[in-house]
Amino acid sequence: MQIIHNSKVKETLYIEKLKNGLTVMIIPKKNVQKKYIIWGTNYGSNDSSFIVPGEDKVTNVPKGVAHFLEHKMFEQKNGRNSLDVLTEIGVSANAYTTNDHTAYLYECTDNFYEALDEFMDYVQNPYFTDENVEKEKGIIGQEIMMYDDYPEWKVYLNALEAMYHENPVKLDITGTIETISKIDKDILYKCYNTFYHPSNMVMVVSGDFEPENLLEEIKKRLLPVEPRGEIKRIYPEEPESIVKEKVEQKMEVSRPLYAIGIKLKLLSDLKSEEIVRKNIIVQILLNLLLGESSQIYKKLYDSGNISYSPVMDFEFSKTYAHILISGQAEEPEVLYNELKKQINNFKKGNIKKEDFQRLKKTLYGEYVKEYNDVSEIARMFLVDYFKGVNSFEYLEQIESVQYEEILQTLNEYFDENKMVLSVVKA
Amino acid sequence: MKYTEKQIKEGIKLHLIQNDRFKTNLMAVFLTVPLDKKTVTQNAILPAVLRRGTKNMQTQEEISIELEEMYGAVFDCGVEKEGDNQILKFYIEVINDEFIPEEDKGLSKKAIYNLLDIVFNPNIKENAFKIEYVEQEKANLKHIIEGRTDNKARYALERCIEEMYKNESYSLYKYGYIEDIENIKNDNLYTSYKQLVENCKIDIYISGIINEDLIQNIEENENIKSLKPRTPKYIKNEVKSKKDIEKINIISENLDVTQGKLVLGLKLLLENLDQQYDAIIYNGILGGTANSKLFQNVREKASLAYTAGSSYVRMKNTIYINCGIEIENYQKALDIIKKQIEDMKLGNFTEEEVENAKKGYISALKAVENEQDSELIYYFGKEFNKNELSFEDYQKRIEKVKKEDVLKVAELVKLDTIYFLQNGSIKIDNIRR
Repeated sequence: MQIIHNSKVKETLYIEKLKNGLTVMIIPKKNVQKKYIIWGTNYGSNDSSFIVPGEDKVTNVPKGVAHFLEHKMFEQKNGRNSLDVLTEIGVSANAYTTNDHTAYLYECTDNFYEALDEFMDYVQNPYFTDENVEKEKGIIGQEIMMYDDYPEWKVYLNALEAMYHENPVKLDITGTIETISKIDKDILYKCYNTFYHPSNMVMVVSGDFEPENLLEEIKKRLLPVEPRGEIKRIYPEEPESIVKEKVEQKMEVSRPLYAIGIKLKLLSDLKSEEIVRKNIIVQILLNLLLGESSQIYKKLYDSGNISYSPVMDFEFSKTYAHILISGQAEEPEVLYNELKKQINNFKKGNIKKEDFQRLKKTLYGEYVKEYNDVSEIARMFLVDYFKGVNSFEYLEQIESVQYEEILQTLNEYFDENKMVLSVVKA
Repeated sequence: MKYTEKQIKEGIKLHLIQNDRFKTNLMAVFLTVPLDKKTVTQNAILPAVLRRGTKNMQTQEEISIELEEMYGAVFDCGVEKEGDNQILKFYIEVINDEFIPEEDKGLSKKAIYNLLDIVFNPNIKENAFKIEYVEQEKANLKHIIEGRTDNKARYALERCIEEMYKNESYSLYKYGYIEDIENIKNDNLYTSYKQLVENCKIDIYISGIINEDLIQNIEENENIKSLKPRTPKYIKNEVKSKKDIEKINIISENLDVTQGKLVLGLKLLLENLDQQYDAIIYNGILGGTANSKLFQNVREKASLAYTAGSSYVRMKNTIYINCGIEIENYQKALDIIKKQIEDMKLGNFTEEEVENAKKGYISALKAVENEQDSELIYYFGKEFNKNELSFEDYQKRIEKVKKEDVLKVAELVKLDTIYFLQNGSIKIDNIRR
């Protein structure tokens, strides 16, 4: 196993790529009762057009299959549901789907290996029937309707729709009632067999473990599989431009919700350490622009326009990259214009060095905090892995980030013409 | 892990949770007072006004800069309801000295001093808070109260509680009421703040790597020294006298929703506080986990919902069942839920289900020590429970729960209120007790 130690947070990563292609990462934590495991496949809602290794025709499937599969994986041939089996032994299990990956996980304090039997069994043995697929449509239908009542979700999706012409990131992860109605067991099996190959997956574990022993236990439970070629994924061409700058939806909310999107250049041709650096820089920039010590925040707070600081995310994968800034404001338009103005002002070099130094410290502290909890640690390593990054890199790189890089990135990546404003109001 | 407490003065407790599992130290100050319609709104605004500035850090901007300089120390505050009490909560989380460069060490002392400064040393002029702070926070509080319906699932739950405890202080909304905001002025708010600080129960928590110096630092802190001893009023968890519920409240309310939110409020007429541990397991079997009766029958078998479950509120001995359903399926879902409650009464659950619920709960209990904030809240909960058990005894008590104990609880469960949030597409007559 490869061993990587980080002296800043005093944690160690053990990493191994198994013969069947599965990557296993273990971050041991002594004297912690909680154990957390997460097993993910590089397959999300964006992957609905692809060429199966060994075939030459493109397969197109309805939107929402990855999420549907996630729901159905728990069903077992013996009539049991693995979620129940795990719950019965005191283990808390779950699963989720994003744009670019699907993950299964559980946390527990006792019975870790008993749970591992069930966990690795159900992820490796799908069991779909016409009947159990039909039944799930009712449950997922209710999940879709639940999101319909979340204005936060609507304002977010509308911002993505305003930024992207073609990229499927703009679509609902669950699909729609209409698209899921077309899903059947054959489609599920086909997608399962394509994307749930170990070479397309990573497993991350954190807790009080001996890494070598744990790795052996994992290997014992893996089913033999043939090595396999690469999956070709087909994503639509995405123009650099946005679709439209402003979008508004009416919903029963007490105060307008906003989501500001900034469509960025793709990071896909960068090396992993450059991706990390860009990420650090963007985070510092966002805090300089709108963080609690920023001029805009003070101005808007004092005038009663906003009452809490915006949530700022930098989201990217191999096919998209954007910033999303969201929250509630009396007049989102004012916030949007202030932000544009400040970006232009910053581009001229009007950023204080001391602010930059201070926010670098803040960000360092935030990275250290990520290592408080085994579940956070494991999830972070998994998500970063799918982005081609080792999480420790953030701690390693941040110290050397220079003031000049901030300006460089700002000028290179932030384009006023690629900003959108999505608003939901009554 | 080691938990100790120390009375600094009468009514003021320092709680120390020694724990080296985390990269951070978490510190908190909780001010507790009984819930009261007369004070609930002004109390609710206080944390927001206090965070605007202190004598030493006069503006919010200064506070933000100070926190950022401390490697992104996180300050948070808010107001909560714990049984019949209103709690004003103030937190600060800071990186442990172990993980920061030599020149910046000593952050924990700085953090607790800043926290105490925000709570006890506000930016006052002429016996009043700054007028613009108070006016701005009044507007913000109004937004919070008006925004109550934004999260439909949470709103439905809160409304069910209101209907269930009509005319009791527990029905009060933790953020207060719009009609009471207007009367708040910068001077009368300061007067009530002083009264609150003089009389409330004060709990100070330090969790993480704690050395002796830090404890001494706290005791020597000027803000702490200036506090007077007090005999605080607050309301502990107790079993109320039995009261039979003659009629079930049925409340249907309309809002612009796509999905109906159904909440059932159950009262547990327990005979003694010790039965609460059995009630925890009762709730686990009924709706607390993914293999509970509700999850299995409402979601998995009938395919009616994505969310379906229940939670037990120990302070009030009530269980809330909630699920999000297609509005048309109201009666169907209600029938299935009622059947589950009935089945529990009839003893239609197995020893195995009892054992599973116990395992699940004990596992969750053990995990508490691995999350700094949950652990802190766990210890705070002990302040309100007369029969407080240690962590180990708590686990042992859960392990002792038998099927017959759960059955006994099942017999004491009474459906009190049915609340349905819908869009008006089906007709349900409101029946209020």
